[in-house]
Amino acid sequence: MQRSEIERIKSDFDHEIEKASTSGELEQVRIKYLSRNGIVTKLFDELKLISGEDKPVFGKLLNNLRTEVTESFNNKKSIIESNQLPDSASIDLTLPGKGIKIGSRHILTQTLFEIKSIFKGLGFSVYDGPELESDYYNFEALNFPPDHPARDMQDTFFVSDKFLLRTHTTPVQIRIMEKEQPPIRAIMPGRVYRNEAISSRSYCMFHQVDGIYVDTDVSFAELKGTLVSFAEQFYGVGFKYRFRPSFFPFTEPSAEMDITCYICKGKGCRVCKHSGWLEILGCGMVDPNVFKYVNYDSEKYTGYAFGMGIERIAMLKYGIDDIRIFFENDLRFLKQF
Amino acid sequence: MKISLNWIKDYVNLDGISTEEIVEKLTMSGLEVEDYVDQNKKYSGIIVGLVKDVQKHPNADKLTICTVYDGKTDLQVVCGAPNVQKGQNVVFAPIGTVIPKGEMEMKKVKIRGVESNGMICAEDELELGDDHSGIMVLNDDLSAGTLISDALKLNDVLLEIAITPNRPDALSHIGVARDLSAIFNRELRIPKLDFQESQQDIKQLASVEIEDKINCPRYSAKVVTGITIKESPEWLQNKLTKIGLRPINNVVDVTNFILHELGQPLHAFDLDLLAGKKIVVKSLTEELKFTTLDSKERILPKGTMMICDGKREVAIAGVMGGENSEVTESTKNILIESAYFNPTSIRRTSKKLQLATDSSYRFERGTDPSNTVFAAQRAAQLIAAIAGGEIAKGVIDEYPIKLKQNEVKFRLARMKKLLGYEVQKADVIKIFQKLGINLLKDMGESLEVIIPTHRPDIEREADLIEEVARIAGYEKIPVIEKVSITLHKRKDDFDLEDKIRESAVALGFNEMVNNPLIPEADSKVTGIPIEIANPQSQDMAYLRTSLLVSALPTISHNIKKGEKDIAVFEIGNVFERLKDDLNSFADFEEKKKLLLIITGKKQSRQWYSAESDYDIFDLKGLINSFFSKISLDYVLNDSYNSIQNKIYDYQFTVNFKDLTFGAGGKLNKSVLKMFDINQPVFSFECDLEIFQKLSGERRVFRDLLKYPKVYRDFAFLFEKSINYTTVKKFILQASTDILKSVELFDLFESKEIGDDKKSLAFNLEYYDYNRTLTDEEVDKDFQTLINKVTEKFNAILRGK
Repeated sequence: MQRSEIERIKSDFDHEIEKASTSGELEQVRIKYLSRNGIVTKLFDELKLISGEDKPVFGKLLNNLRTEVTESFNNKKSIIESNQLPDSASIDLTLPGKGIKIGSRHILTQTLFEIKSIFKGLGFSVYDGPELESDYYNFEALNFPPDHPARDMQDTFFVSDKFLLRTHTTPVQIRIMEKEQPPIRAIMPGRVYRNEAISSRSYCMFHQVDGIYVDTDVSFAELKGTLVSFAEQFYGVGFKYRFRPSFFPFTEPSAEMDITCYICKGKGCRVCKHSGWLEILGCGMVDPNVFKYVNYDSEKYTGYAFGMGIERIAMLKYGIDDIRIFFENDLRFLKQF
Repeated sequence: MKISLNWIKDYVNLDGISTEEIVEKLTMSGLEVEDYVDQNKKYSGIIVGLVKDVQKHPNADKLTICTVYDGKTDLQVVCGAPNVQKGQNVVFAPIGTVIPKGEMEMKKVKIRGVESNGMICAEDELELGDDHSGIMVLNDDLSAGTLISDALKLNDVLLEIAITPNRPDALSHIGVARDLSAIFNRELRIPKLDFQESQQDIKQLASVEIEDKINCPRYSAKVVTGITIKESPEWLQNKLTKIGLRPINNVVDVTNFILHELGQPLHAFDLDLLAGKKIVVKSLTEELKFTTLDSKERILPKGTMMICDGKREVAIAGVMGGENSEVTESTKNILIESAYFNPTSIRRTSKKLQLATDSSYRFERGTDPSNTVFAAQRAAQLIAAIAGGEIAKGVIDEYPIKLKQNEVKFRLARMKKLLGYEVQKADVIKIFQKLGINLLKDMGESLEVIIPTHRPDIEREADLIEEVARIAGYEKIPVIEKVSITLHKRKDDFDLEDKIRESAVALGFNEMVNNPLIPEADSKVTGIPIEIANPQSQDMAYLRTSLLVSALPTISHNIKKGEKDIAVFEIGNVFERLKDDLNSFADFEEKKKLLLIITGKKQSRQWYSAESDYDIFDLKGLINSFFSKISLDYVLNDSYNSIQNKIYDYQFTVNFKDLTFGAGGKLNKSVLKMFDINQPVFSFECDLEIFQKLSGERRVFRDLLKYPKVYRDFAFLFEKSINYTTVKKFILQASTDILKSVELFDLFESKEIGDDKKSLAFNLEYYDYNRTLTDEEVDKDFQTLINKVTEKFNAILRGK
């Protein structure tokens, strides 16, 4: 072993490490010099053959060499790693991404959820109720006397003399008031059924949201305020509205709320039957007879109630012109929302 | 209901008020005008034309070329009607006018090469009738160029009003006029009676007897003798055609006129056909075959209230007259019936017979019992005036039980409380007076009023408050901008459903909303169904017993439309019959359920992966993720069994403790065949109410693990009959509590290892929450486990 040989190795190494520009090339350098059979490692084997006073001298030289080479290697390695960029030529980033399936909520339940969120923000609780109802809850306790023409307003599917598929979500009002004392502030979304001929405008079942507020000082003025706020949140501001007298057996006075037709902006079109107005909901002050059925003192308490159809709202909002498409559940429809 | 504004003006002066304002105010006071036609606008520009010449069309056999004089010039017009002739006055639509039918605008056109400058119209094109066999030919005395709105008196405004069931009083022209008089504060003019009576006393000509006094509280009648049945005069025919009624003869037309004027249905009997000149009102004691005046034989059930003469039935009370006593061309003497029938009785009859008439419609809503005599008298007056004859002296008026008028107290403070604003007392009184509600007492802060009999809907203070509000205008009620809200008892019954929807969507499911009304055969697949008593069709005659049976048609539909790869869910109610008769809520069950369905390809062919089909383990995996997402993972203790039943080829159930609340599997072919589905379908359905109870437990944070985990793998050869869950359970139970989880990472079967063998490879995860585990203790546990598994299952350790 000669000093010059060590220096030559060092110089070769310096040259090669300088040249190495990829981690692959660097690895080659490591194998050549620092692996188990590498040049530097081998030199230590040769050191065993040296005897006498040369041994510590060479030992020190070799140790220095190994330290320098290792250090140099590590430096280069960290430089290469930090500079390493993907080999852009080898990746076609224009390839499509790997698809991950995402589902969808039905547009009706989305619309229901939206309406629900608004009313929750206005302090309403949310109640569920059965679809297969008794005549008592669906009609009688809501002040539809037997054999009254008001029942014709809601064509009913019966399953027996006493039981029927609810024609509105209003019976849940009775169920809540039977169990709880005022103040009551609740909405009741759900499915309802009507025995009406199926067409693009009507179906044998649809969805409604009913609402009720009963307390010691509830007035029609408060009903108006609440529903106007709802409409502004749901439809956006900038429309006109009107409350027009109507009739529901369970409210007195009763009203229907219209807003400016947002298809034609009130000019008159096919959708609003050229009136410029769209009816969005029915409402009124809870009829004293209804309070009688749930044993509330109608002198002490007043209340308002309202109800709206979800399909109609969704059809208007999304420009759907056939109600049947909601229940066909064609995936090409479901995936749009 | 159709209302003619010209007719209305007979009873209330509306001068100076525009049609638009009338329409708007009626709607805003509760009589909703759904649509209206202003005839002056509808027939704008359409005129009387004189046909001066008719020539054959050179290029068409059925067409003629007419020269039409429009009052100023001669115009060439091509016409297709067979009845057009020289010298006729016709209805002519010049260029620029709009034909009512189809709202077609007239333009100069060439028809088979010949220029045409307008159209000669047929009845149907003007929407004046259905006739399209030829053009309308007008009177000779009209002069060309006259607007047909003047020539044919088509200068009315026709309103289509939706009358709510509480307003029978508004089902007539006077009824609507009364509201208008209140809205515009104008006088209501009820027509005055003015007629001569003969010396002959009505009581000698006819008699009335009421047996069913409950259902017929009042029966009034007038008799007119010596009349001549003929066509009605033009004014009467005109009034009726405007509102869509077909004129019949002078007597029938008068009864129809009175119905639409006063709202009181009348019936005219041929007095000479009434046996014993007698009317008896009674209910049928047994079923009867009866021919009504529309010549239809009907079977009338027992209990139907009938009008009878001395011998037989002559009319179904309040609904329709009988053929045996109707007024004919030879009728000379008539009895005019003007009665008040019990609304419930008429409604029941009309419903049972499925026969609704203008009469029954009004009676079942409630006519005015005080108006019967007036209506009979007015009818007699008009009939005598247009049909000749003499009005017998006096009136028959059987009114055994006088109906009491309602007195109601009205508090101004209550109105303010309910409406949220104040209406001046003077204004309240004025509104009441215009509506015929008379003030009995003014007690300062409150009023006592008497309700007129034409308003059966007004019974209480709240009803009076509505009357004030609607006439004063709902727009006067302020809009409160601050509301009080309730802070306690806040809840949302749909929280869990929303959470489930969120998870299902994240897992790639599309939500369905299916119709719960399904055919009988489908509903019987999964339970004992409830039948609809009055279904629309056999396809929707039963309620679903599971979400699955109402969803499979949807799956089938989508596959047929080419959407074969499906992952869908639904949340909805299902219904099951528990007893034969449904008399209480205990006789059936309504449950909220969740359904998941997968079918087709899980992964379509892609550049980065091969395609793969959904299988039962995808379903299991999705359900596991699902439950873990809605925090049910720690209460779930699932079990999977290969039961074959009529729905599933193989199925698994999901349990909590001993409670099974869901099942799923691969649907069997016979079920799929019912719905015409030809690809494997995997479905899972579970009970949301049980779910709701289970998910009530609160999730609690657990400290993150501070110490390292240690992993070991092993693989064994097992007999094929040994199932995965048995092995997994044994491993967990056979090791110490430092083993926290066991994961299957490989399943291998091949000929080399033997047809009756399988290799299961597990990854074991060891850790302790309180310390670092040593290799030695893990190795010790691991080694013990290997021995135990080997021994327990006679398994052979592989590799290593």
